[in-house]
Amino acid sequence: MSYSTFNRKRFDSMKEPMFFGENVNVARYDQQKHPIFEKLIEKQLSFFWRPEEVDLSSDRKDFQRLEEHEQHIFLSNLKYQTLLDSVQGRSPNVALLPIVSLPELETWIETWAFSETIHSRSYTHIIRNIVNDPTVVFDDITVNEEITRRADSVSKYYDRLIEMVNLYNTLGVGTHTISGRGDIVISMKELKKALYLTIASVNVLEAIRFYVSFACSFAFAERTLMEGNAKIIKLIARDEALHLTGTQHMLNIMANGRDDPEMAIIANECKDDVIHIFKEAAEQEKDWSRYLFKDGSMIGLNAQILSQYVDYITNMRMQAIGLEPCFETKSNPIPWINSWLVSDNVQVAPQEAEISSYLVGQINNDLGESDFDDFDL
Amino acid sequence: MTLTSNSQSNDDQETILHRVLWGEKQLLVSEHEPLLPQLERAGVFVEYQCREGYCSSCSLKLIRGHVIYPTEPLAWVQSGYLLACCAIVKSDIEIAFFNN
Ligand code: FES
Ligand SMILES: [Fe+2]
Ligand SMILES: [Fe+2]
Repeated sequence: MSYSTFNRKRFDSMKEPMFFGENVNVARYDQQKHPIFEKLIEKQLSFFWRPEEVDLSSDRKDFQRLEEHEQHIFLSNLKYQTLLDSVQGRSPNVALLPIVSLPELETWIETWAFSETIHSRSYTHIIRNIVNDPTVVFDDITVNEEITRRADSVSKYYDRLIEMVNLYNTLGVGTHTISGRGDIVISMKELKKALYLTIASVNVLEAIRFYVSFACSFAFAERTLMEGNAKIIKLIARDEALHLTGTQHMLNIMANGRDDPEMAIIANECKDDVIHIFKEAAEQEKDWSRYLFKDGSMIGLNAQILSQYVDYITNMRMQAIGLEPCFETKSNPIPWINSWLVSDNVQVAPQEAEISSYLVGQINNDLGESDFDDFDL
Repeated sequence: MTLTSNSQSNDDQETILHRVLWGEKQLLVSEHEPLLPQLERAGVFVEYQCREGYCSSCSLKLIRGHVIYPTEPLAWVQSGYLLACCAIVKSDIEIAFFNN
């Protein structure tokens, strides 16, 4: 029951589930139950970057020239990003390492969380460069009500899972009366349920909440302002794309039941809860965009456009884990964001391919179904 | 119908073309590069981020037809979907965009 840093039992780690099996003992990667996590590790390592490599000297001048309400947007957004990465820099480790059962997944979790610490350090780099007293910015994160409300919603699933795993490790399964907290039921099913909801809420954090903040960062850069900041956010966005793929894999592996049959039942039972997590987060992000733009909008972005983007990206992320999109918005209201999100090392403006026919690239609008007969189904 | 035509730049190599159908529209694409840049060149907006198969932003519904991935993408590919940035079209296909 209680966690061991080197499990002395002999077992076949290839037969363990992702979570709540044996504690990992030998960190070996020669055999992998889910090779995807090893691939994510390699990709993440290839992304390694340091915030200090990005020059922010022109951002300071830009910042001073921003209008007051634009400074509010910029700083609030940065505070929110700082909060999110503060949570993400520690929580995967604290919440998931005690219950993980596969070496490649354990190391992915550690690698993932490590990259979040780089994000956190980059916010300090940015804040130091644009304001005289970073303390004013950082201190506000724990007192500003708009931010602390968000802190609650991003940390509550992690915190609940951590509490339950602690009780499980010390007291085992059963109903435990905890002073000040009342009765808490600990069963394997409840633990797995808490885990599933936590992974869903982390997916929401990285795949929705972060992207809303990226939109704000890049909206400044679209006006050639705060471009050093945008460079850093671009690197962060590249990491986050990988992280959200990690949680999408976890959720999909859980839901298909091949890893742990009970997890498939739980995924099915939790469907409405997960939909609720997505919807609730989307509403919170929209409230947040109203707060950001309360004193005025900026060229290219306002509360309404950002809210549409929230709807759009929520739909996209729901679809990625097999849920029906729940909002009306069907097109990206800020398509320019993609050219900021894309990594510098890939070609964006596609060149004419070397070998192509004159027929390629022509859209034909009136076409009968009968022309279309070559399906190998 | 899948077509072949002589390519302009390389006479001894045939270019195999496939139809990509969505709604009432169609486009002919080759196997020489992934679907995404070919759609973009035709002026079709497709969501993307990484363009390397690890973010799943370019996921499109694959209603029928066959695509392959030269290297297996890191992103989870939902069954019945394709990743436009790295999928090579191998037959006539019918797709649906997220926004329809
Ligand atoms: S653009 Fe990232 S998977 Fe295709
Ligand atoms: Fe991060
Ligand atoms: Fe992350």
